Amino acid sequence: MAPRFRTRSSWLAGLLLPAVAVAQPSLPDRHLNQPGPFFLTVQFAGGIGVVAVGGGYWLANRRVEPELLVGRVPRSLGGRGMTMFTLRTTYTPFAPQLGRGNWHMSPLSVGAQATYTTGKQFFLTNRSAGRYPKGYYWWSPKVRLGAFAGLRLTYQPDYDPRGWRPGRTTLYANLSTNDLHLVSHLTNRSLRLPEILTLGLGAKAGW
Amino acid sequence: MTNVFFSWLSTRLLLGAFLTTVAASCDLLEFSPNDTHAPASERDLTQKNLAALARQPVPTRGDTLRFVFTSDSQRYYDDVPPLVASINQQRGLAMVLVGGDISDFGLAREMRWVNDEFRKLKVPYLTVVGNHDLAQNGREAYQKIFGPLNYTFTYAGTRFILVNTNGREYEFNGHVPDVPWLQQQLADTADVRRQVVMAHVPPDDGDFDAAVTPAYTRALEQAPRLVVHLTGHNDKFYVRQPVPGRVTYISGYSIEQRNYLLLTLWGRHQYKLETISY
Repeated sequence: MAPRFRTRSSWLAGLLLPAVAVAQPSLPDRHLNQPGPFFLTVQFAGGIGVVAVGGGYWLANRRVEPELLVGRVPRSLGGRGMTMFTLRTTYTPFAPQLGRGNWHMSPLSVGAQATYTTGKQFFLTNRSAGRYPKGYYWWSPKVRLGAFAGLRLTYQPDYDPRGWRPGRTTLYANLSTNDLHLVSHLTNRSLRLPEILTLGLGAKAGW
Repeated sequence: MTNVFFSWLSTRLLLGAFLTTVAASCDLLEFSPNDTHAPASERDLTQKNLAALARQPVPTRGDTLRFVFTSDSQRYYDDVPPLVASINQQRGLAMVLVGGDISDFGLAREMRWVNDEFRKLKVPYLTVVGNHDLAQNGREAYQKIFGPLNYTFTYAGTRFILVNTNGREYEFNGHVPDVPWLQQQLADTADVRRQVVMAHVPPDDGDFDAAVTPAYTRALEQAPRLVVHLTGHNDKFYVRQPVPGRVTYISGYSIEQRNYLLLTLWGRHQYKLETISY
């Protein structure tokens, strides 16, 4: 009735943590000044909606990207319609220029996210659901915690970024997982890492 | 000419590589952990297994029927391959019954992980819904991947009645399990020599709707062809007959306990119960 936890050492945490420490190479200077700190995001899949839209604010010379996204899953794909709010931060330690052109390639971005799903069936805690004895279901269906790693390609044109045209545009791909899938993976040797991953594809435009 | 051939070949190869990548990444596609997305080959598994069962001749002689009863695979993925390997060694086996809680968090992906292993069984497998399978959008995921929450089928003169008894997940609304439906199925005895009922939560459990318990047990007692009533949920094996000579209630092992039950039925009420370890 209540599965016990079997521990197993995983290299996943080990993979994500050192990446944060490799933050040495800096972005080229001309990109430090322009364009501005706001950006808009649109993402397909990745466990935060069929399509999620939102935006955020660049920090630390655009290496840190906190953002808020709103995603939607229709009834046909979700069983029941779901609206999902995701708060996440991406960390991109370096973005080397490709040749002498306007393109930059970031081989690795990592981040963490928390997703809040609306809907009566998603109770915050076992207790707030009101129909279960203490400890019946230990997880919170409403809140998912996740981690992701991905790569991105950024285009920064030479023109003056003022006006409606974005000063930089980024395309990205992320592989993510969430706490529940991770628990399944960590307690079962036969459940391989690729089986708990989810692909998200997106674009960001910054002004 | 050669150039044309090579460009055609490389286009084919590139297209092939692209399609393979797209197909592989379908498993990576998730809109929400609670979505009910599943490829066509992993949908309507109950219907597909019943069709396979209908095509399969009864593997035992006379009126004998042999099947496996296991339960609660919830997040015990490591224990499923040895179970499948052990079951595949059994002779004269017609099918495998799974007593619910296929998933732990009611997620479609979990149900698909379990099916990835169960589809390696040499015989069809049939499931009944458990309380964990109904968590959040689990009901919709279960219905899409497996099928109906209440259903019946007849094989080798035996009518199997699979009923959703997870009353707590419906806030004990007085309608789960659906007793009128159960009575109807038990009363339909055309070409039926014996009956087997399978559910997840046993009627004496706190997760069973106590308001429905008397009507439910009465319906079972009034079914003279009923051989056994099978349940999961408790991770505890027992055989009980609260009223001597009436209904036999069997609670099965969970997959994590590394045991399963092998049931052999014959005649009208005879049955043999074996515990197999793996």
